Amino acid sequence: MEAYRDSPATQRWLRGELERIDAPLQVAIAGKVKAGKSTLLNAMVGEMVAATDAAECTRLVTWYQYATAPRLTLYPKQGGPRPLPASRRDGRLVIDLNGTPVEDVDRLVVDWPSRRLQATTLIDTPGIGSMTTENSERSAAFLLPEDEPAAADAVVYLMRHLHATDFEFLEAFSEYGATRASGLNAIAVLSRADEIGGGRLDALQSARRVASRYRADPRLLGLCQDVVSVAGLLAQAGRSLRQDEFQAFTTLAGATRDDTDALLLSVDRFLVSGPREDALLPVDARRALLDRFGLFGVRLATTLVRQGSGSPDLLAAELVRRSGLDELRTALTSQFTQRRDLLKARSALLAVDHVLRREPSPQGRSLLAEVERILAGSHEFAEMRLLAAIRSSSVAIPGPYRAEAERLLGANGGTPSQRLGLVEDTEPRMLRAVTMETLERWRRLSEHPVYPHAFKDAARTVVRSCEGILDELPD
Amino acid sequence: MPSDPAGGTVTQTATITPAMEAVELAVKASTAYQRPDLAARARQALRRLHNPRVRVLVVGEFKQGKSMLVNALLNAPICPIDDDISTSVPTVVRFSDDPSVTLVRAARISGEGDDREERTQVPVEQLADHVSEAGNPGNRAGLKYAEVGVPRHILADGLELVDTPGVGGLASVHGSATMAMLPSADAILLVSDAAAEYSRPELEFLRQAGRLCPNVACVLTKIDLYPQWQRIAELDRDHLASAGIDAELLPTSSVLRLHAVQSEDRQLNAESGFPALVTFLHDRVVGQSGRLADRAAANDVVTIAGQLAAGMRAELAATEDPGRARQLVAELERAKQRAADLRNSSSRWQQVLNDGIADLNADVDYDLRDRMRTIVKEGERIVDSVDPGKAWDQFALQVEDQAAAAAAANFLWASERARWLAAQVAELFAEDGARSLPDLPASAGPDLPELIGEMDDPGGEKFGAGQRAFIGLRGGYMGTLMAGMYSTFMGLTLLNPFSAAAGLLMGGKMMRDESRRLLDRRRMEAKNTVRRYVDDVSFQVGKQSRDMLRHVQRELRDHFMARSDELVRSAQESLIAAERASSTGQAERQQRIADLRAELERIAALERQGQALVPAGD
Repeated sequence: MEAYRDSPATQRWLRGELERIDAPLQVAIAGKVKAGKSTLLNAMVGEMVAATDAAECTRLVTWYQYATAPRLTLYPKQGGPRPLPASRRDGRLVIDLNGTPVEDVDRLVVDWPSRRLQATTLIDTPGIGSMTTENSERSAAFLLPEDEPAAADAVVYLMRHLHATDFEFLEAFSEYGATRASGLNAIAVLSRADEIGGGRLDALQSARRVASRYRADPRLLGLCQDVVSVAGLLAQAGRSLRQDEFQAFTTLAGATRDDTDALLLSVDRFLVSGPREDALLPVDARRALLDRFGLFGVRLATTLVRQGSGSPDLLAAELVRRSGLDELRTALTSQFTQRRDLLKARSALLAVDHVLRREPSPQGRSLLAEVERILAGSHEFAEMRLLAAIRSSSVAIPGPYRAEAERLLGANGGTPSQRLGLVEDTEPRMLRAVTMETLERWRRLSEHPVYPHAFKDAARTVVRSCEGILDELPD
Repeated sequence: MPSDPAGGTVTQTATITPAMEAVELAVKASTAYQRPDLAARARQALRRLHNPRVRVLVVGEFKQGKSMLVNALLNAPICPIDDDISTSVPTVVRFSDDPSVTLVRAARISGEGDDREERTQVPVEQLADHVSEAGNPGNRAGLKYAEVGVPRHILADGLELVDTPGVGGLASVHGSATMAMLPSADAILLVSDAAAEYSRPELEFLRQAGRLCPNVACVLTKIDLYPQWQRIAELDRDHLASAGIDAELLPTSSVLRLHAVQSEDRQLNAESGFPALVTFLHDRVVGQSGRLADRAAANDVVTIAGQLAAGMRAELAATEDPGRARQLVAELERAKQRAADLRNSSSRWQQVLNDGIADLNADVDYDLRDRMRTIVKEGERIVDSVDPGKAWDQFALQVEDQAAAAAAANFLWASERARWLAAQVAELFAEDGARSLPDLPASAGPDLPELIGEMDDPGGEKFGAGQRAFIGLRGGYMGTLMAGMYSTFMGLTLLNPFSAAAGLLMGGKMMRDESRRLLDRRRMEAKNTVRRYVDDVSFQVGKQSRDMLRHVQRELRDHFMARSDELVRSAQESLIAAERASSTGQAERQQRIADLRAELERIAALERQGQALVPAGD
């Protein structure tokens, strides 16, 4: 900032970036239209903050950040931020733009008092591949801006199946820019997992299988850290399961199997109004269940109650567990939250880099060199780059070493035990011994004459990671 | 089930339609009057009536339930279904008495001549190993398509369902292959599930399909699962309306259908939406193609009747008025000459045909080169902006994709223009053919102008603007004509750029291995590889286009040659009959006139029967 004292605009921009370093991690939720972005966001927050609908719904880039009191702010493209009235209807947040045309809005910011938002700010984006081109363009402009670094530190990318266009987007996002380590700030999510296989009871297992196949796909590996399957609707409903809903499931589970099976055959059957059906559960109650849980959710919940989930808490926990939300959260923690500082530093350095290149100045030149030195020199970035290189197969690591190298570089999480692939509460003494042994092995590899240079370079980086682990261990 | 395994001789269509009766009568009449040429033509028409073929393409993005839809329609687990793995090879399902699976592979080009198909029978349960991504990823086995025969009533009218690989999967050269199949389809079902409204690519596809195919229906699947399917259906209808696409939207649920069939639950079957789909296929698609077939049969019958009558009319005229006989003979001589002229290579239709094919060849070639050049240019631009060693796989896929799309577009364009040319030739032939028969009183000579009367007049329309017209061309006379050409279209449509594609990826591997080389060097090599690849594709596609055009040319020439022969023969017969009449004695004359009148009446009856096949005012 010193270097740009006489340029107020640049200063303001840099100050924004500076604040961003200390702000929570900014994770954008992106994906094609109807991939279930807003539903997943609700599930992650645990409340119905984002509007969802059968038709295309999210039209604006909306930030959800932590605050002690709910507040809604509109940032127009021109002029200062404007507060908007926030009201809740049926537990849902209702947003009224107060007559501002959608085209003039840059973004909406929702302050929300949710514990879940403390560490991460979530950003909902309009779908890609929308019928209304403007919506998609708004997303593209936000996620892949042409003239400045992206506002999001990381991206959760939602898809129903891996479509060629999904692939293109992930690629665009990871290749965005030159010095950036690709694929390290994205997680792919197979969303709407409950709909795979036509809503059969084993749909979620099936979705997991699909996710693990994608995870093994070399084309995807270079583009994202992980692939997990999540049934957003199930998670959203499970997180906010109400007593009356549990009661309804108990009633359904209590009916004869023939009766429930007939009801659960199709959505139309489920909403049939007849004396027998209404005696079981009024049609309005059934419609409400269907809206909240989906047909698969109703099927699953009924089966779960039958199998002994005897209280709302038990049922809710089981629904959330099966939805895959926990896996997503684990992935987010190990990939993003633990690397928060690194991702933040990366964003910040890229921002500085951007300014220096856009407005060259004498002092800037030495700064630019400094930025490049950090980006190239610091071990954390070296780890990221090497990981990306291994995953995109541009550095070939012989089979048996590959998984271990990735783990040691922090692909599964940054704590010593995660890197070493040991259980969480392993004794420090044990950890140390394993680290020493690993370090020695990789050192030998890095000096072994038969391997090509690229591999030896990689092995040296792994050795440094091992040394880093040793530093972290208590003496 | 129409099949009777014990009987062995069950034909596809057990019922005899009026069209078949009429054509059979025409066969008998032609044989009786010793016109084997006309009898052969009638028999051919009869064969077509007995083995109708109505091709319905089931298309859509991947994982929308296409295979499941086909299975539910047929109530049989034919096409493999999986939560994850998709179909990779088109599967043609048609009627047969015994279940069978045949894999069709294009035989490698060996020297000159047409590509042959290589057919392999495999056990029925092995289908999944060959047509899904699991057993045959990205169709690396290079199959053109798989053919499945099943004894199902719904297919008995010649309905043929084609389950296509989904568009948009990662190995999406599929998409272009599907586009290229459009011209051979009688109907298209666009399948998309009720999870979301139409996307832009889907609407774009529908718009294209509507131009190439007469019947397009949108099938909304999985309505059992999505509570909001009615909303989605409404939204989709709005999209269709605002895009100006005239297509029915049919909400269905394959799960409910299968359930309903198992439990024989009529109510549930109705809820599954399949009755509406079956009605659409039967009444609209099969019905329409049946009407077209009837019309083609009517044309054949009327023409044959006219030619049979020509000789008798000439004799009758000469017998009734011996004084005019000499003049009549002279007139017939001239008519015969005109008919013979049709066979000359200097005749108008032949000239138009030959010139047209030559022009088309040049145009198609130019179009292809132009498209490919754009791809090379674009590719070079990309190579200059990135390091081709790093992003090669993705880049290679993209180039392959573009090349396949360009090839398909070129091929579509070529086949559209070929059809247009066929229509022009038919029109010219009709004009000249009409003059090649003597102008006899109350002549019901081969009413050629009427034959093509049903065609939308393509003459006045510029190519491109009147594309709707081509759909019309498939009716009536062109229907008959095109029947022979469909196989050409189908045979060539499944472009398989895979052999050349292997080369493109391979080149990339080489490049990575030598990663130490300079970037410029890598770029150079990448450009050369792309150029080689595009050259290769151009060569293959160019050959296919030329083959297709050659086939069209041969088909048209043979067809109209045969018609010319018939006309010459008819003129010849008339001439002989007229000469015979002049030598008939006075005493026999009255008897002969009565006989001839009776015979003519019989033929007129045949003609009326033929005309009755086409509903009045249609």
